[in-house]
Amino acid sequence: MQHWAVLPILIPLLAGTLMLLPPLAGTIRRQRIASLVSLTLMLVGALVLFRLSTQATQLYVLGDWQPPFGILLVADRLSSLLVLLTTVLAIGAVLYSLAGDDNRGKYFHSLMMYQLMGVNGAFLTGDIFNLFVFFEVLLIASYALLIHGGGKQKTQANVHYIVLNLIGSAFFLFALGMLYGTLGTLNMAQMSTRIAGLTPGASILAEAGALLLLVVFGLKAAMMPLHFWLPKAYASASAPVAAMFAIMTKVGIYSIFRVHTVVFGEQAGDLAYIAIPWIWPMALLTLVIGAVGVLAAPTLRTLVANLILISAGTLLVAVVLLNTQAVIGGLYYLVHTTLVTGALFLLADVIAQQRGQASDRFVVSRPMKQAPLLGLLFFIGAVTVAGLPPLSGFVGKALLLQAAQTATEMGWVWSTILLSSLAVIIGLSRAGTNLFWHVSGNKTGTDNARPIQLIAIAFLLLASPALVIFGGPATEFAEAAALQMQQMYPEVQTLIAEGQP
Amino acid sequence: MSLFWILLLPLLGTVVPLLTDRFGRTACAFATAALPALALVLVLLQVPAVFDGQSVVATLPWIPLLGLELSVHLDGLALLFAILVLGIGLLIILYARYYLSDKDSMGLFYAYLILFMTAMLGIVVSHNILQMWVFWEMTSVSSFLLISFWNHNSDARKGARMAMTVTGLGGLALLAGVIMIGNIVGSYDLTAVLSSGDLLREHAAYPVIVILVLLGAFTKSAQFPFHFWLPYAMAAPTPVSAYLHSATMVKAGIFLMARFYPVLSGTELWFVIVSLTGLTTLLIGAYTALFKHDLKGLLAYSTVSHLGLITLLLGMGSDMAAVAAVFHIINHAIFKASLFMAAGIIDHETGTRDMRRLSGLWKYMPYTATLAMVAAASMAGVPLLNGFLSKEMFFAETLDQSSLGSLSWMIPVLATVGTAFSVAYSLRFIHDVFFGGEPEELPKQPHEPPRYMRLPIDILVALCLLVGIWPALLIGNLLAVAAGAVVGGDLPDYGLYIWHGFNLPLLMSALAMTGGAYVYFNREKLFTFQAQFPEANANLIFDKSVKWVMKHCARFIDWFENGSLQRYAFLLILLALVLLGLPLIDLNTTAGLRPQIPVDAVMLSGAALLALSSLATVIWHRKRLIALLMLSVVGLIVSLAFALFSAPDLALTQLSVEVVTIILLLLALFFLPQSTPKESSPSRVARDLTIAAIFGGIIGTINYAIITRPLDSISDFFLDNAKSGGGGTNVVNVILVDFRGFDTLGEITVLGIAALGIYKLIARMGLFKPTSDDDGRPWTEDKHPMMLSVISQGLLPLALLVSAYIFLRGHNLPGGGFIAGLVTSIAIIQQYIAHGVDWLKDRLKLDYQKVIGSGLLIATLTGLGSWAFGYPFLTSWYDYWTWPVIGEFEVASAIAFDLGVYLTVVGATMLILANLGQHTTTERARETEHQ
Amino acid sequence: MEAIFAFCVGLMTACGLFLTLRGRTFPVVVGITLLSYAVNLFLFSSGRLLINGATILGQSDQYADPLPQALVLTAIVIGFAMTAFVVILAIRARSDLGNDHVDGRNPPGAGLPSDRLKEKN
Repeated sequence: MQHWAVLPILIPLLAGTLMLLPPLAGTIRRQRIASLVSLTLMLVGALVLFRLSTQATQLYVLGDWQPPFGILLVADRLSSLLVLLTTVLAIGAVLYSLAGDDNRGKYFHSLMMYQLMGVNGAFLTGDIFNLFVFFEVLLIASYALLIHGGGKQKTQANVHYIVLNLIGSAFFLFALGMLYGTLGTLNMAQMSTRIAGLTPGASILAEAGALLLLVVFGLKAAMMPLHFWLPKAYASASAPVAAMFAIMTKVGIYSIFRVHTVVFGEQAGDLAYIAIPWIWPMALLTLVIGAVGVLAAPTLRTLVANLILISAGTLLVAVVLLNTQAVIGGLYYLVHTTLVTGALFLLADVIAQQRGQASDRFVVSRPMKQAPLLGLLFFIGAVTVAGLPPLSGFVGKALLLQAAQTATEMGWVWSTILLSSLAVIIGLSRAGTNLFWHVSGNKTGTDNARPIQLIAIAFLLLASPALVIFGGPATEFAEAAALQMQQMYPEVQTLIAEGQP
Repeated sequence: MSLFWILLLPLLGTVVPLLTDRFGRTACAFATAALPALALVLVLLQVPAVFDGQSVVATLPWIPLLGLELSVHLDGLALLFAILVLGIGLLIILYARYYLSDKDSMGLFYAYLILFMTAMLGIVVSHNILQMWVFWEMTSVSSFLLISFWNHNSDARKGARMAMTVTGLGGLALLAGVIMIGNIVGSYDLTAVLSSGDLLREHAAYPVIVILVLLGAFTKSAQFPFHFWLPYAMAAPTPVSAYLHSATMVKAGIFLMARFYPVLSGTELWFVIVSLTGLTTLLIGAYTALFKHDLKGLLAYSTVSHLGLITLLLGMGSDMAAVAAVFHIINHAIFKASLFMAAGIIDHETGTRDMRRLSGLWKYMPYTATLAMVAAASMAGVPLLNGFLSKEMFFAETLDQSSLGSLSWMIPVLATVGTAFSVAYSLRFIHDVFFGGEPEELPKQPHEPPRYMRLPIDILVALCLLVGIWPALLIGNLLAVAAGAVVGGDLPDYGLYIWHGFNLPLLMSALAMTGGAYVYFNREKLFTFQAQFPEANANLIFDKSVKWVMKHCARFIDWFENGSLQRYAFLLILLALVLLGLPLIDLNTTAGLRPQIPVDAVMLSGAALLALSSLATVIWHRKRLIALLMLSVVGLIVSLAFALFSAPDLALTQLSVEVVTIILLLLALFFLPQSTPKESSPSRVARDLTIAAIFGGIIGTINYAIITRPLDSISDFFLDNAKSGGGGTNVVNVILVDFRGFDTLGEITVLGIAALGIYKLIARMGLFKPTSDDDGRPWTEDKHPMMLSVISQGLLPLALLVSAYIFLRGHNLPGGGFIAGLVTSIAIIQQYIAHGVDWLKDRLKLDYQKVIGSGLLIATLTGLGSWAFGYPFLTSWYDYWTWPVIGEFEVASAIAFDLGVYLTVVGATMLILANLGQHTTTERARETEHQ
Repeated sequence: MEAIFAFCVGLMTACGLFLTLRGRTFPVVVGITLLSYAVNLFLFSSGRLLINGATILGQSDQYADPLPQALVLTAIVIGFAMTAFVVILAIRARSDLGNDHVDGRNPPGAGLPSDRLKEKN
């Protein structure tokens, strides 16, 4: 019996819980150690799972109950990759927090662990209601983390974030009611096979459910016009939390991908790809609004938050293009953008600290204490997110551009993606010149950034060159994952079939 | 393989200066030069092979799925540019050694410079056009760094940003073009691309491709209307201007056109766009240059015009024109680089570049002056110099072309005019700077520069002469192979002589010379004429426009993301409404075939009550206490409904949650205003009512449609296996703790996290002191009522007993850990209400955080227990534990799990309520002290 | 009966949504609670309605669909956790921002009770 598939959920659950109990409770030092230990374990686990998934999809039957009746975890290439990605990002965020952010309020490490549990669970589960549960886990953890460190802005942003998401959760349950009420099952793989067989009336109700789910996931994915909560929330969250949030929108996009292009995929008869026509315009608009936001941003944090919007839009485009090439590009881009935007949130924090009064606003300020070093890091990050060679940004972008096939697709996708890249170039060159060069007076009296902070940032940024140098293997893996996704969980289907008398 | 080293060496070279910086300027310079020099040697080693026409290619796989590979080659064109890039680059390194002041970080400068050199080299030797684009963008980035090298002055920053924006735009267009070419050809391999010219030209997308590629070329090579960024890039240190903005980077656009010449040219579209753009640029550049008082400004615009000249040649479409273009690329690089360096020396030794102050420098620096004059003469196209030869070719080509049909005669005429102006500004450069009286109060006492600072110019100027005199001998072959690569075929036979006899081109030269001289010596009139026009400062305009865009973006965002939750929520609901509503339009019959339950009076009245209380909640929502009461009524009836429709567990749960929620909300009202101000405008209310009503209608319809249809669900399995597999008769509970125990685990985790989060919220809460409610009635100071405390004290054990009972029977009858937990919490809360926090603190020593923790831990460990027996997480111990003796183990795992649930619920609920309750009391205690 | 049930669910949804669209935190919380009641009934009914049935084995000859009931139970608990958090957040927001408007700022010419409090802090 192999338990690898459930470890990414159990390890953080245990770690987070143990931190509430003696001997870990109360002393930040022990919690830090515990947190690092569990992250190391998770990294190992994620790597093993990753290796295994490339050989065969890892299925984990919880409670040993024959699917579709019990809850099933599905660790195929895609979900294992995302679990690994999440873990790496978390390592960066937690390392950074060790410099003191984690001690600005209680339970930081516990909550971080629970956040990880939620995200990993959402990636791994093959059961739609279980997906809801893990959504709630990661949401409640994010609510609690968002106010970590305190401050008016955090409270304010949190009110919007939570109320919108509570409405979203209500919609999620409505949608589940509609899907269960028509399909009579919760196992996603089984759902996908039942859709085509629905009576006309029921099929319409299922369609309504599927489309309502799009709203729910779109809210998490910050799909325009459901993106409003994001900029303020991300810009006000404390650095490690914001960095960790870089994966959150991806959960929504991943769910859209799983549900609306796989479960409601080509085998779904009348309901095949039912949501795609709706996502198209919203994806492009998300890109546009992100680009505008980048140009409008008054502070570096807001700018990076809008970069998250752009990445969300780009990934949604990758989803709706509905071809292997697009998925390859999307996966590559996803890894790249998650890690680098995470790093930028951390970097923005260091910059803000070293600029004293000016913080991270684009105004004249005294020069930073470690201007050259931070400048180099910023330059690397900027070149990467702007999609400029030789760093990883351009590969994903080029792959996506190649994926647009018909003339109409080209017209829309190319123009929006390229123009948003231009906006990013302009925005970032403005940001960089203002933050680092538009200075007066002598250096600020702030202390140097803690080594651990710089290590964390560098660690995440390292992904960029790595993804380029090993671009070949990376894209080939992405291809394998993409092809696997189009096969509708064959392993699960057989498992279910075995169960039927 | 050595081909890769041509690229790799300079790449490694970028770090060398950073490492050697500390060993002094000269050491650093030489160390920096070493690797590029080596690369140049490698290039030269390939010369024979290239001249023999062998294809020199080396390829490594990189990202196959992207069609991107590391592919380096040297054909004639690549060879020519590689030599230019590396050769001039080395001279620049030497020059910069003396040019940079001690304040400048030499290592950094060299690092940027070599980085650029690598990128530029990469463009020219790429055999894969996607890879070429990669290096193309790298030149933009590195030039950004170089232009803004003196980033303390704002012109440098602005100039850099302008260059970055313009070339960035071009780069993105080029990417699109390259990918389109790749899609059509099916490969990015240059050989494949070059061999499919007809395919491309006949493709429907050809015009788009041409425009995209030319956008890239024109932005990079500062062609009209994108020429404006180049003069402002002159804020860069002069070595940079000499290298990037005359010899190499601006030639990248030209190189691009030359590279794709065989496949993209040869159509009306290409000729018209390219030749007209070139011509316009040539004229504008030449004319503007004359009026620039800044030496570098003059040279910048002259560069623009010469680039236009080359573009024009590439637009003419005759093979000979291509030859001329390549020839002029070489010549311009040579004389312009030397001129920039000379200008740099003058700037360096006199402290100014303003020609109105400079004059008569001949006396002070005769040697430099001579060099500069020779170079300038070459720029003007004076015989015996290289500039003359290519200009003659150019004239000859303007004469026999017909790209403008009947208007073609204009081209030679305008070409002559343009050249006349270039003669004029060359004259001005020579005359204004080196002659014409004494210099006016220069910052420095001018004198000759250091010997080696001049050396690069010596070399280049020597080349001007030698090439001018023995062209065929020196660069005949190079030119031939390069031009051959451009036209992609055999070249027409042409002669590189100084003397072609008396012919029209010579006449045109003569005209240009005299005309230029005339213009220069009557320049005053022209200057006064030009003075009427306000000088358009592209920098300001660009800056303004960017600011304008940003301002309007900001304005839009402020309007769109106006921070109003009500708008955001409205949009969210609206979108859901649309997505839900549209499918229903196709739903012809709402009701399904499933037999429906008959209505009776009880249900009816219950429903009516439910409806009324919900409405009441809305109607009185401003009187918060009343709204709360109504809400509790709704909750009550909901739980009754659950009971009615055969869901006893739900009824119990709903009921107990109801109680706790209401207590919580009541507590909240202590801290919040007791009434809501009337602030929504009628229209807003109407809007919200409408959307809410429609949404409710849709949900109701869907609900009706669903529950009236038969359902084939997986639930029978649970009914069949609950006892046999889960060991319990209460199927719902078995599902919770066994079939779907994983959900429950997640659920209690949520509860626990919520408690932690709430603790964080309260812990940091700035305390304010509501001593009275909003109507000014003070909160009661009474002690806790005697009766209540007595009774509740008696009630506590009873309540605990009840919860224990509910807990234990849960697996087989309605109940279970969750409900039991809530009952317990309610009992404890009651004690709080009855006796107050402090009283209870002394008696009830419970760290709720630990309770939560242990609850979660127990539940998780129970699940892990099954690992010991080789079963998946959360497998209940019942269905395989065969020994009949300890059969009760069947329940064990489920009970243990439920215990975890119980503890978590108690811990969480109490952590929430106790903390909040504590606030109310401590508040009031403190308040009384104050009075 | 189904019709009446559906009507009630729809009505509660409408009321809940209307309240969540209000400008002050408390009505929003009430609205969300109301909405969650509706949601629970909706999800519960996706297993179809049945009277005098049972989910306890051996208590009746006809059984209600137990799965949605279990789901709703989970939903109730999660809903409770969420409501609790948002309520406390509302309190925190008022103490941080000096008023109980969802946007943390009183719209011009409205909202008296909190202003008094602002002056105090």
